[in-house]
Amino acid sequence: MKHAAAILTLLLAVAVPAPAEDFSFDAKEFEKKTFEFGGYLEAKQEALNQRPDRSSYALTYPNEASRNWLYRSTGTLELTGKLNLDQVVADLRLRGLYAEDTFVRTIETDKVMEGGVRWSPQQGLSFDAGKRVMRWGKGYSWSPVGFVERAKDPSDPQASREGFVMASMDWTRTFDGPISTVGFTPLIVPVKDKINGDFGKPDHINPAAKLYLLAWDTDVDLMWQGKGSKPQSFGVDFSRNLGTNLEIHGEWARMADVQRSYVDGAGNTFSRTENINSFLAGLRYLTENEVTWIAEYYRNGSGYSSIQLEDYYRFADQATAPGASASLFNKAKNLAQSGYARSNPGRDYLYLRASVSEPFNWLYTTTALTTMVNLNDGSFQITPEISYTGFTNMEIRARAIFLSNQRHTDFGEKTSSQRYEVYARYFF
Amino acid sequence: MRYLIKLLAGLALLAPLAAHALDGKAILEKVDRNLEPESYESYRKLINIEPSGAKKEFIVYTVKKGRDKVVTLFLSPASDKGRSTLRQGDNMWLYIPNVGKPVRITSLQSVTGGVFNNADIMRVDYSEEYNVETIEEQGDLYLLSLKAKTGNVAYDKLKMKVDKKLTLPLEIEAYASSGMLIKTLHFKDVKDFGGGIKRPATIETDSPLYKGYQSIMLYSGLKKRVVPDEVFTQGFMPRIEELRK
Repeated sequence: MKHAAAILTLLLAVAVPAPAEDFSFDAKEFEKKTFEFGGYLEAKQEALNQRPDRSSYALTYPNEASRNWLYRSTGTLELTGKLNLDQVVADLRLRGLYAEDTFVRTIETDKVMEGGVRWSPQQGLSFDAGKRVMRWGKGYSWSPVGFVERAKDPSDPQASREGFVMASMDWTRTFDGPISTVGFTPLIVPVKDKINGDFGKPDHINPAAKLYLLAWDTDVDLMWQGKGSKPQSFGVDFSRNLGTNLEIHGEWARMADVQRSYVDGAGNTFSRTENINSFLAGLRYLTENEVTWIAEYYRNGSGYSSIQLEDYYRFADQATAPGASASLFNKAKNLAQSGYARSNPGRDYLYLRASVSEPFNWLYTTTALTTMVNLNDGSFQITPEISYTGFTNMEIRARAIFLSNQRHTDFGEKTSSQRYEVYARYFF
Repeated sequence: MRYLIKLLAGLALLAPLAAHALDGKAILEKVDRNLEPESYESYRKLINIEPSGAKKEFIVYTVKKGRDKVVTLFLSPASDKGRSTLRQGDNMWLYIPNVGKPVRITSLQSVTGGVFNNADIMRVDYSEEYNVETIEEQGDLYLLSLKAKTGNVAYDKLKMKVDKKLTLPLEIEAYASSGMLIKTLHFKDVKDFGGGIKRPATIETDSPLYKGYQSIMLYSGLKKRVVPDEVFTQGFMPRIEELRK
């Protein structure tokens, strides 16, 4: 707590407005450098109002005493380096992290978030090998077609994520006519021993590919991932501007032969192999008074109905009650890890975000109100937020997350009912 | 015969007038070419100034090809470095390195904040987006009234004051379809960039919607350059740095 507060104070002290200067500009000051170095330092403070009476709390913090509040301080240093040669670019993004809360202290010093080598023999062709974040899909909060990436956090969709080790090629051609661009990106994501261990089952090469078209002013992607560490998947997405202030997008994904775990009302657990279809439809709209609306509907094909979730929560209540057997507890824990404890375990969601850039002419200030609703059980979370980027190279964001409280519902069974967060990030 | 003589005489009297008639389209196209070659690269500094005097600056590298293809790369500040934007006609995308995928944006949004919006930063030729409705002469100026060709253009109408001698804009007022003045651009500091390019190096912008705020765009390193069409695609957005020499 003290460390984060000290870093926060230091960052704010650095954030003085740029001194006045005349309006001169010479491009020679910005000539390309062979080696570039950058990164950011972030201090984050969080306070979480816990729900010790919920089974999710007992499963997350077994053998810990009940606490109403959990305070977490996090300091993050991310360093990036880039070597620019003629046709070859090598880059590396490293992260160091110190996090401390009531229960645990985490220290990470050498996490490679991304890094590799790219060779571009011509503008429309490049080859890449290394750890990469390959983000597919057009969704803002969810991406059902994100087959070769770590799932994004819908509460913070733009947060930095770690890549997977892969080798890829990118080929692009442009044409006159309604199909003006065609791009093709085949890749492999090998999983073996210590490489990509969290991607899926080991000893697979995992081929995947994406075909991109800009056709009739619409972005269209067709995606495929071969059977291997994960089930075979297909997907398609699109995005299109309908005007100067309106964009629409959508995604559809199908995963074949997915093993899913269930628990019924009597506490019996079983698994089934299913084909899963997920889709998303969304829009982004800028109103005349500068409010940006993002609305998305997400059909989570691997999600559970409100009745199935309720069956699980009742079962987890029994498994975590005082005197429950260790085997019952472990059974509940396995179910949680198999999908019931994901950030969005439900079937149908609505995401709605209204953000106002520069309200009341406050330059560089953005305020936003975001809500995520489980349409099956009506539970929700709501997030007011304010951010400021007016200090050179500084970003400050504060937000609160309030969750609905009804028992045996998606958001009503999360480990915390309220979360307050503030961070300052200094870029260099 | 008398009628024919009268007709010929009438036509002879009208001929000088027709020759002298102003061709608004040609003048607008000349304004476009005098501002920039059709295909070019340039560096720009964008400065947002608050009423308090506090400033925020962005450096962007821009490459344009043909009538409607533009890419920009943010070189500074560090918080925005590596961001890039792409425009193909009415289509616009933003690439943020941390987000890692191009996201569609619209012309009225602003990737920098302040008075400049995306259409200002990724501007294509005026004659590509606007028809000349009227043109008149006023002393040393042409006064052009421009109307957007489609509803996808950021501003519905422009009123452009053009220096007759240089055929360069001095001031442009941008209006919404409701008739509301959105912003005024002032073109200043005509400078010789070499290669036959002589144009204003400074554009100052103010807006009644942002009273007391001002945004300034400074040009440097503007020169003719033609790159392959594949540069203006989503896949190239993370690689725009490769174009810089």
